[in-house]
Amino acid sequence: MWQVIKDIFSFRDYHRFERIGLLIFIVIILIFPLIVEQAYSRIVMIKFLLFALFGIGWNLIGGYGGQVDLGQAKNVGFGAYATALMMVWWNTPFWITVPIGMIIAAFESFGVAYPMFRLKGHYFAIATLCVALVWKELFIFWDWTGGARGVEIPVKATADFVHMQFPSNIYYHYFVFFLFITQLLFMNWFRKSKLGYQLQAVRDNEEAAASLGINVTWTKVKTYTITGGLGGVGGSFLAVYYLYIDPDLVMPLDLSILIAMTVLVGGAGSMWGPIIGAAILIPLDMYLGAWLALIGGRYGIDFMVYSLIIMIIAAREPKGIWGIIERVKGRG
Amino acid sequence: MGLIFAFISLGLALIFGVMNIVNFAHGEFMMIGMYVALLISTYLPLDPLFSLPFAALVGFFLGIVSYRFLVQYILRGPMVAQLFGTFGLMLFLRYLFMLIFGPDVRSIKKGILVGKTLSLGWITLDVSKVVSAGLCLLLFAFVYWMINRTKLGRALKATSIDAEAARYMGIDTEKMNALAWGVGGATVGIAGGLLAHFYYITPTVGMLFILIAFAIVALGGFGSILGTFIAGLIIGLIQVIGGHYLSELKFTFVYIAYFLAVVLRPRGFFGW
Repeated sequence: MWQVIKDIFSFRDYHRFERIGLLIFIVIILIFPLIVEQAYSRIVMIKFLLFALFGIGWNLIGGYGGQVDLGQAKNVGFGAYATALMMVWWNTPFWITVPIGMIIAAFESFGVAYPMFRLKGHYFAIATLCVALVWKELFIFWDWTGGARGVEIPVKATADFVHMQFPSNIYYHYFVFFLFITQLLFMNWFRKSKLGYQLQAVRDNEEAAASLGINVTWTKVKTYTITGGLGGVGGSFLAVYYLYIDPDLVMPLDLSILIAMTVLVGGAGSMWGPIIGAAILIPLDMYLGAWLALIGGRYGIDFMVYSLIIMIIAAREPKGIWGIIERVKGRG
Repeated sequence: MGLIFAFISLGLALIFGVMNIVNFAHGEFMMIGMYVALLISTYLPLDPLFSLPFAALVGFFLGIVSYRFLVQYILRGPMVAQLFGTFGLMLFLRYLFMLIFGPDVRSIKKGILVGKTLSLGWITLDVSKVVSAGLCLLLFAFVYWMINRTKLGRALKATSIDAEAARYMGIDTEKMNALAWGVGGATVGIAGGLLAHFYYITPTVGMLFILIAFAIVALGGFGSILGTFIAGLIIGLIQVIGGHYLSELKFTFVYIAYFLAVVLRPRGFFGW
């Protein structure tokens, strides 16, 4: 037990600069809403933290596991719908809906994982994509989920810590930051757990891992299930943040791919990958879009710049930006 | 419809089979083929049917250019880089066309084939679909012949089976890869030109088709032309029958079929 707690909070195996960097990062996030008054910057910050949160969840299977999953949006959708529907139907407190959403997402992931991990590489990636799309179509088709119209959560008048509804973005900022930190700590523990080491062995060499007695498929299935559950948390946050969800908002294909992309751009399989990736892509996306709208540029240029950056990173630096940093560090 | 799907996937099957790379931008190549047909029929005194060679040419160049400037580099990286490289290309092309043409839905309004129907006693057929299907069949036969009977096609196939061995045999694999992208782009350009006759044209139309194309290619076995052909027909049928009973879920049936197919037989029907 003591060992587990120590593993959760210990970042001892990271380089000194990384630990200092993490500390600076946390301090910046903590004081950010106190110094920045501009509403748009705060929204950008929340979105950045949300995607860093998604990225950390996805990084387990995509980074440490090396399995490219393009269906994370379905788990986000499960979380969001679990929270929204239960709030509408029974006025359930937010903190009860989160574990339920996680369990639903994890169960679904577990169910589809076993057949899917018979596939490798591209086949697996496209299969996850198909599963996510099937769920999206079903959520649009079904009546009890509100169909394409979506679900609206009744608005509370005052700040409400039971249903997590707040009049100001500052609350949401600290709220999503809290979720982010819990997942970061979870990831820190997972990295050093038995499953984490097994997973990294499987990623690096499947045959060698299997010959050491690791059940390759079972390792992947377990990780995929956990990833599913973690995706649900961010979805629950989305539901109370937007107070309105529909399948196109919480489970589109673009979301799945954006989640995977932030991790890839930042550097898959490292603690910093999701953070750096989200820190680059999200503000870039939002400020570029806002700036182009301001100067009257036509819709689309922001996505073109965006996709150019993705192409350059994919072509030149497949390990992502963290890969560049590590190389520079290794040289210096 | 199944034949068109099959034909779109053919290009993908070629690219995938030869280079073992998933091309997300494939649907966008098709979209560009559709716009070529639209532009030619609007601004030149030509029937959209005659735009097909232009669409093929544009698709061919697009394939080669994207190989030279992007794919060549991402091939060296891990699989993730390939997925995201072509995904970036897809976004780029889509929003480039969004920028030029705007997000409006367009369609071709005049032409020999547009809007005419053919009555065969008890069944009424859309002439444009029938002619498209016929052309697809012909082109299918042509590509099949090219791959299996010509020297060039055999070199392509050799590259796809074992690139290293092919290199030892004196085949310029770099050239073959570029060629596969070119031919893949050309076939999908033609498919786009045909599709433009009876389908609406928007910059985002590619996404819908690329997913179906993935399903078809996986079902037929990556790199197999005959398999792609048969799988295309099957998927077309599933979509039409499923859509007849539950039209909102017609793509769900396609995805489920894909899912079951790859899980039960990961190599597809005719994969090697």
